[in-house]
Amino acid sequence: MAAFYATHCRSYSYTYSSSINGGRNQRFSFSSSFLRLSVPAKAKVFLQSQRNSYQNAVLMQDGAVATKATTVEKETGLEKLKDELLSVTSSKEWDEKAGFDINENESTVSITVVGASGDLAKKKIFPALFALYYEDCLPKHFTVYGYARSKMTDAELRNMVSKTLTCRIDKRENCGEKMEQFLKRCFYHSGQYDSQENFAQLDKKLKEHEGRRVSNRLFYLSIPPNIFIEAVKCASLSASSGNGWTRVIVEKPFGRDSESSAALTKALKQYLAEDQIFRIDHYLGKELVENLSVLRFSNLIFEPLWSRQYIRNVQLIFSEDFGTEGRGGYFDHYGIIRDIMQNHLLQILALFAMETPVSLDAEDIRNEKVKVLRSMRPLQLENVVIGQYKSHNKGGVTYPAYTDDKTVPKGSLTPTFAAAALFIDNARWDGVPFLMKAGKALHNKRAEIRVQFRHVPGNLYNRNFRTDLDRATNELVIRVQPDEAIYLKINNKVPGLGMRLDRSNLNLHYAARYSKEIPDAYERLLLDAIEGERRLFIRSDELDAAWELFTPVLAELEVKKIIPEYYPYGSRGPVGAHYLAARYNVRWGDLGVEQ
Amino acid sequence: MATHITPCSSSSSSSSLTFSSEFNVCKPRKCCFSKRVSQVRPRILSRNHFQIKSSNGQPLNAVSMQDVLFGLGMDGRPLAKGIKPEEEEVFFDFSDPEEVQSTLSIAVVGASGDLAKKKIFPALFALYYEDCLPENFVVFGYARTKLTDEELRNMISGTLTCRIDTNENCEAKMEQFLKRCFYHSGQYNSEEHFAELDSKLKEKEAGKLSNRLFYLSVPPNIFVDVVRCASLKASSANGWTRVIVEKPFGRDSESSAELTRCLKRYLTEDQIFRIDHYLGKELVENLSVLRFSNLVFEPLWSRNYIRNVQLIFSEDFGTEGRGGYFDHYGIIRDIMQNHLLQILALFAMETPVSLDAEDIRNEKVKVLRSMKQLQLEDVIIGQYKGHNKGGRRYPGYTDDSTVPNNSITPTFAAAALFINNARWDGVPFLMKAGKALHTRRAEIRVQFRHVPGNLYKQNFGTDLDKATNELVLRVQPDEAIYLKINNKVPGLGMRLDRSDLNLLYRARYSKEIPDAYERLLLDAIAGERRLFIRSDELDAAWSLFTPLLKELEVKKIAPELYPYGSRGPVGAHYLAAKYNVRWGDLSGEDS
Repeated sequence: MAAFYATHCRSYSYTYSSSINGGRNQRFSFSSSFLRLSVPAKAKVFLQSQRNSYQNAVLMQDGAVATKATTVEKETGLEKLKDELLSVTSSKEWDEKAGFDINENESTVSITVVGASGDLAKKKIFPALFALYYEDCLPKHFTVYGYARSKMTDAELRNMVSKTLTCRIDKRENCGEKMEQFLKRCFYHSGQYDSQENFAQLDKKLKEHEGRRVSNRLFYLSIPPNIFIEAVKCASLSASSGNGWTRVIVEKPFGRDSESSAALTKALKQYLAEDQIFRIDHYLGKELVENLSVLRFSNLIFEPLWSRQYIRNVQLIFSEDFGTEGRGGYFDHYGIIRDIMQNHLLQILALFAMETPVSLDAEDIRNEKVKVLRSMRPLQLENVVIGQYKSHNKGGVTYPAYTDDKTVPKGSLTPTFAAAALFIDNARWDGVPFLMKAGKALHNKRAEIRVQFRHVPGNLYNRNFRTDLDRATNELVIRVQPDEAIYLKINNKVPGLGMRLDRSNLNLHYAARYSKEIPDAYERLLLDAIEGERRLFIRSDELDAAWELFTPVLAELEVKKIIPEYYPYGSRGPVGAHYLAARYNVRWGDLGVEQ
Repeated sequence: MATHITPCSSSSSSSSLTFSSEFNVCKPRKCCFSKRVSQVRPRILSRNHFQIKSSNGQPLNAVSMQDVLFGLGMDGRPLAKGIKPEEEEVFFDFSDPEEVQSTLSIAVVGASGDLAKKKIFPALFALYYEDCLPENFVVFGYARTKLTDEELRNMISGTLTCRIDTNENCEAKMEQFLKRCFYHSGQYNSEEHFAELDSKLKEKEAGKLSNRLFYLSVPPNIFVDVVRCASLKASSANGWTRVIVEKPFGRDSESSAELTRCLKRYLTEDQIFRIDHYLGKELVENLSVLRFSNLVFEPLWSRNYIRNVQLIFSEDFGTEGRGGYFDHYGIIRDIMQNHLLQILALFAMETPVSLDAEDIRNEKVKVLRSMKQLQLEDVIIGQYKGHNKGGRRYPGYTDDSTVPNNSITPTFAAAALFINNARWDGVPFLMKAGKALHTRRAEIRVQFRHVPGNLYKQNFGTDLDKATNELVLRVQPDEAIYLKINNKVPGLGMRLDRSDLNLLYRARYSKEIPDAYERLLLDAIAGERRLFIRSDELDAAWSLFTPLLKELEVKKIAPELYPYGSRGPVGAHYLAAKYNVRWGDLSGEDS
């Protein structure tokens, strides 16, 4: 059971603690992982039987399930349960759990990509699965099933998939061979998304592949949101695993506002328990977002600075250098705030600002994130600037306006750009502006976190900076993409006989430091879902809290029909963003002269 | 006042502006000699020189002699406080054509010596080349050897080089510079000969206001003679006279105090420029900038976060036939008591009131006076021995023909020092200095404490101490600053390792970094005393080391022998272990 600890994909660090290795190759030292090991075995029956009942998210922690599967239903057991959960981490327990892994060969995982003919599936999911396979990160026995409405043979699917598979640059050996082996494990089943019958057929096919092994099933829903529920219903009722776990990965959008999101969650929970739902936010799978907690919590030098006392503002910046380009249908219904801010940027903000969790367990981390979200002030209209790109002629090329897109209504007011100032009203962050900015059709493509520190009180070198002390503050930049990097801007003496200061960077450029290719976010998240690691997935209460912050302003924007500020395609976005920043005495770090 | 005009330092974007202080009238910043400045200076100095002259032989309090005070008196005008830099130029741009021109004469006493040839003349040329010297200047070599001007020029032209980054007109510039170089032969203790020099200088100065800088590049036993002769016979009559002296400043508290007393018979405190060329190194200069102009460092700069500080100096060669001087002093006096201790003081000092020389030196003295005297048990000494490697024989220290055969002079030393003040109580400051080691380097390493309650501790096994943050300032070679941080290794697993947040000077700044001597000479010319050692600093420094040095000599402590080219005696590790420190430079992972 739970034998999904492929060994070679996680190369071991020399620092790995010998006290926990017991022959166990798991996702390193997350203390939750040992709990996870034992979960499916004990919990599977429970999960099956609970499938149709609603569960409190916290109650459904792996640890809880593992230790007290039978008492979970009692509300009153919650506190006791949590205590026990925290107490199980003795090393004796460890060894015990580590020793049972004899059924490895007996389990199998079936990954069903629902919506296999879609773009995401082709571009991201199949390649990520192959990369995991290529790195030996998938369990020994696994099957990949494509499911969609189109009629296709297995061979046709393989043909389609094979075009997007690539091997890692850093080890290209056997690529062709590996690809072939992988494709042999890929199958296709054609069916309607709302047909239980068709899913039952899938179930039968899956059973064939699974043989007599314990079957674990992962459904990846790569389909439009309006058919989420149908697909979940059918998969759950007709294609759940009989003796292993069944998990469902869903992608955004998770509704359009608090109500629709709550309705979606409610509907999902009719068929799935909380711990079966894996809401993916692929930004959380980005290398540098993962590294954010490492930086904070494993370095002495950052944590003392991580508060309103030293940090002046935090900027979360996302930009794309292209527009909707004929795919505006979906986007126009949501807009940039729902598409990027309410999920990706807000998630990063929560990770950035959270208090130190009790442990690195998924539930501990998500508890802290929820606390941040719940301490936040709902976004006010006056703290938001929205924009929409208009056409632009440059070098003889005409770049289309958003509303030139055929899939977008002519009079659309949907923002393709937004900037917002958010505040966390807690002891650590009171008064520190968290600025978000997200836009399409801007001058570059990037995602980064910028932390601007306060100025040096009583700076001896004032005179060198003239009056603009604010421009000489330290800044920590975590560039999530492209060209992953961390750098800290420091004031430094320019070498030479004079006493001139300038800002230099203390740099960590990933490409220069690490020769290894950085895995795609989807690889990490798929692997986590297979392993039952929920740290990077969004819990229902997190989602609720996130929507609560944005729903009022979204409603207001729509009711008042606020007109977005237009900005030329390929520009730096509407100037309104600067005025918003100025209001809170902030200067955008990405649009400075020096960057 | 318009002294922030910077022909030598290329300025300046809005965030990288030249230093322009409101009191820089008399304190032309390094590299700031515009022509206008050289017109301003005489005025100031002509008013001040009586003060200086009349105080000869009567030691003045160093603090009262700050430049700022002179500035106050000048023109009867108060300090131009609060004047915006842009206005400064206008304000002080008096271009009176009748203004008396000033001239600078630099006399290198001991001109035929090694230091003069290798460092002083090249540094002067570099300053000239960068237009950092005043318009009128002459360089005079003085030594016992009989040489003509031409012979001196020949001798030094061999060592002059042009900066890599701006070497146009190199030849022409060199010729122009050499034309300004002259030689005078004389005895170091002859007032008569110095009087001859004076008349030659006067000739060159041609009635202009004369400022004179004597660089004493002579053995310590003739310091006082030279100073006496120069002061009595060759002082400037109407400008300033300054004397640069190099280490050694005595061998212990007594001899140092004696030297200071003798010097002060002929010079006032503010005429004495005790050079410590390590203070002129780029990264040592930058240390204060890092601390005081970045928010992110100062909160960490105390015993709360810093576990230990390491000051490391190593050379990869031995005395190589020049052990005569060294054997009399040893590595502790040669490197630790001055260079490393100075860096330590700069590192550990409290925030000074301002960047003025006196304010900074006051803070440094406070650090030195808060320190515990060095104890014998906190010191390890070593001496290199002969070593065969790759068929080559590297000599032991006592194989050097200039070194007595039974010498127990340390060529290596490691020491643990402590500052008993609120900021640093209990934090070990480890020093290590040695000759004939495996590398050549000078660096400052700051090891931070471990993360309390580290969530990731399982990733590091049990040795949390190895995963602490570390800030390294590499002074030489390859100037760099890097901060070791724990970072997730990219990939699907959760592995942490230590990566560096890096600033490699070579990669960031294309400009060649000036030699320490250039900076210091320029400072001496400008009267900037920040990087020179004040008498009370020197006293405080000696009183930390003198008892230990005596004890080593009295007890004839035998040094631990280590092979030439090795990593030094292992005793250094045991000393570090005693204070729960691990040397950062020998940890294996580092370079």
